[in-house]
Amino acid sequence: MDITLTKEADSLRSTALAFAQHALTHDRIRALEGSDGGFEPDVWRDMATMGWSGCVFPLEMGGAGLGLFELALIVEACGQAALPSPMFASVVEAGMLLLESGVERHRAAWVPRIAAGDAILTTAVFEPGNAELETVATTATPLPGGYRIDGTKTFVRDAATARAIVTLARCPDSPDGLALLLVPSGLRGVRRQRLSSSGGEALWEVAFDGVSVPATALVTEPGQALAALDRLLARGACLKAAELVGIGQAALDLTVAYAKTRVQFERPLGSFQAVQHHCATMYRDLRVCRLLMWEAAARLAAGQPAQREVAMAKAKTSDAIPALTRTAHQIHGAIAYYRDYPLELYYTRAVAAAAAYGNATYHRRALAHLLAHDLDTFRGDIHHGLPVRPR
Amino acid sequence: MDFDLTADEHAFRDEVCAFLTAELTEAVWRTERDPDEQGQWRREFTKAFRRKLGAAGYIGMGWPAAYGGGGKSRVYQTIFAEEMEYHRAPGLDRSITYVPNALLAFGTDAQKAEFLPRIARGELSWFVGYSEPEAGSDLANLKARAVPDGSDFVVTGQKAFSSEAHMAEYCWLAARTGPVSPKHRGISMFIVDMQSPGIRIDRYPTLAGWTHHAVYFDAVRVPDAHLVGEIDRGWSVIMGAIDFERAALAAPGLVAFQLDRLLAHAREQGRLDDPVLGDQLARLATEAEGARLMSYWIASLHAHGEMPQFETSMAVLCKRETARLFDAAGLEMLGAFAPLRAGSPGACFDGDIEAEYRDHLYFQFAAGGFDITRNVIAHRGLGLPR
Repeated sequence: MDITLTKEADSLRSTALAFAQHALTHDRIRALEGSDGGFEPDVWRDMATMGWSGCVFPLEMGGAGLGLFELALIVEACGQAALPSPMFASVVEAGMLLLESGVERHRAAWVPRIAAGDAILTTAVFEPGNAELETVATTATPLPGGYRIDGTKTFVRDAATARAIVTLARCPDSPDGLALLLVPSGLRGVRRQRLSSSGGEALWEVAFDGVSVPATALVTEPGQALAALDRLLARGACLKAAELVGIGQAALDLTVAYAKTRVQFERPLGSFQAVQHHCATMYRDLRVCRLLMWEAAARLAAGQPAQREVAMAKAKTSDAIPALTRTAHQIHGAIAYYRDYPLELYYTRAVAAAAAYGNATYHRRALAHLLAHDLDTFRGDIHHGLPVRPR
Repeated sequence: MDFDLTADEHAFRDEVCAFLTAELTEAVWRTERDPDEQGQWRREFTKAFRRKLGAAGYIGMGWPAAYGGGGKSRVYQTIFAEEMEYHRAPGLDRSITYVPNALLAFGTDAQKAEFLPRIARGELSWFVGYSEPEAGSDLANLKARAVPDGSDFVVTGQKAFSSEAHMAEYCWLAARTGPVSPKHRGISMFIVDMQSPGIRIDRYPTLAGWTHHAVYFDAVRVPDAHLVGEIDRGWSVIMGAIDFERAALAAPGLVAFQLDRLLAHAREQGRLDDPVLGDQLARLATEAEGARLMSYWIASLHAHGEMPQFETSMAVLCKRETARLFDAAGLEMLGAFAPLRAGSPGACFDGDIEAEYRDHLYFQFAAGGFDITRNVIAHRGLGLPR
């Protein structure tokens, strides 16, 4: 047991944060919100040059050979700086999916380009009216030599800048009834509409209307789509938790800085015990969130079962971090109600990150499911197997 | 970074678990409980049990080898504390967590030689003489006086909220030797033999059912040799040693036990698939995991040679607030049967959950209450102004 960051990880986190916090002004970040691209291409180029887009990919594919834990630290730093980038779509979602579950053809073709930041890919998994992925309505109908895709996807990240979209569809050909297909964004029949959403991500609804793709579009071997999807959902939840931790840290830092300098009643705001106790609670909650996120990320990175830990991390961060940003605003008062104060960036990003990849309710339901069907997993490592003293 | 116990740590946990399971048998639970004592174990049993902990090598396992210790890292000490709490075993208190570490840090060689071997064997119970009627959260306000007289100090004053003073061989005493202002200067630390003439102990029943104590010192003579640290510099001893106690208090075994008990109850009642209960238990299990990670995070920092301070207080806060969540949730889960006490027809777990609901109230104010701890986090952790 050793719950401390290694020197290397700590230094990666500091470096990433230092870059992310100085990459863009708050004004520029606000201007990018709602734009089609959603991020600054020059900054993304710099992130690629520093090796962030490749951090999680193997050396022979042009990556840095680090793991998901290091990726979580980078995502956290970006969250803390409110820095928009295609990191989530291209690396966390599509890139790692191709790396872990992709067939050789697509992996060899795309992973090195994603790692180098030369190509952005994204995924299309969720569907309108189906926020929790209970069913998949989009279909991949077998045709001679390929498939025809019909359906509508939503919460597709960076669809305007992505070269291709890894799309989940029902497919009668596949043993698990599902297929992941690589759909070039420019194909006829692919239409997209920008979502107007809280937070800083460029999210799209993408409609597939009789889109024809060749049989080689299949991203995974037959019967492997569901497993790839499960890993994607776990990874997405864990890294959204990491983003939330970064958001929470930024909100706390802004609040403490403000409380130290703002004077009312001839005293700094932070000398009032009511304010101090709010700040202490925020700090405590943030630390719990960070530890739960670290545990989930470390287990995923090591390839260990992490169902319980991911659900706990995302459930807790999705509850606690938006709550933390509400308290941050309460302490700031009116000043932070205005758009030119940076706290609003975090207030809205917390909403979006909490909702993405399963909100708190979704993940508590997953834990409740474990409780009902797999008590040992629900209970985790500290399981004594002792009878509770009957008496 | 590794969130799993190593094979050796796992083996140690299994060993402690087996030891405690073998010691705390059903028969022991039937015959050795005493509602009049803090922790509800007969005082003779607690003392005998502490000697067994000593014989098994658990008390000194984290001390340096030069003092007969095992040199085990704080991770092992946390595992030990977690198991002790999980099994609700007696004896894990200031006598083995706080006083020996304070002696190691601040005691003279003679004091270490005099006390550490006996502490390691589990022979000594200590009471910590800090709080007074006018010095609770504001500890530096203490009034008990120690006046030099020849080669002794003469102590006069009153201590309050004195846990286990009635069974202590020694008192770890804070008394005023110097000026009243500034008030945290002029405090000194002493070791006082509780057999000394002039000590009187009063008993006060608590709402939790057990008896607490107040201690009166009337011209009690304490030899110079039992002054700990420099005269008038006791405050730094108090502050320097307090983190040792906190680290033990942050152990997550109580919370793990509370979770397991509720899970066992839900299973017995066939309610593991109740969606409302499922949501509640999912929240509680998440908080319990957070408290467990906090505790091992502190242990990891120590194991790396860092000296966490406010972080330790934060871990105690987290553990104790989580325990209080479980106390309330436990009553909720028992429904109409919640208020039934030990021995009553219909009482679940022999009324333990209701008893703990009263007992654990002290978490909210003792050894750094919830509000005081938030002050500590705000000042020392976030640098907010006083």
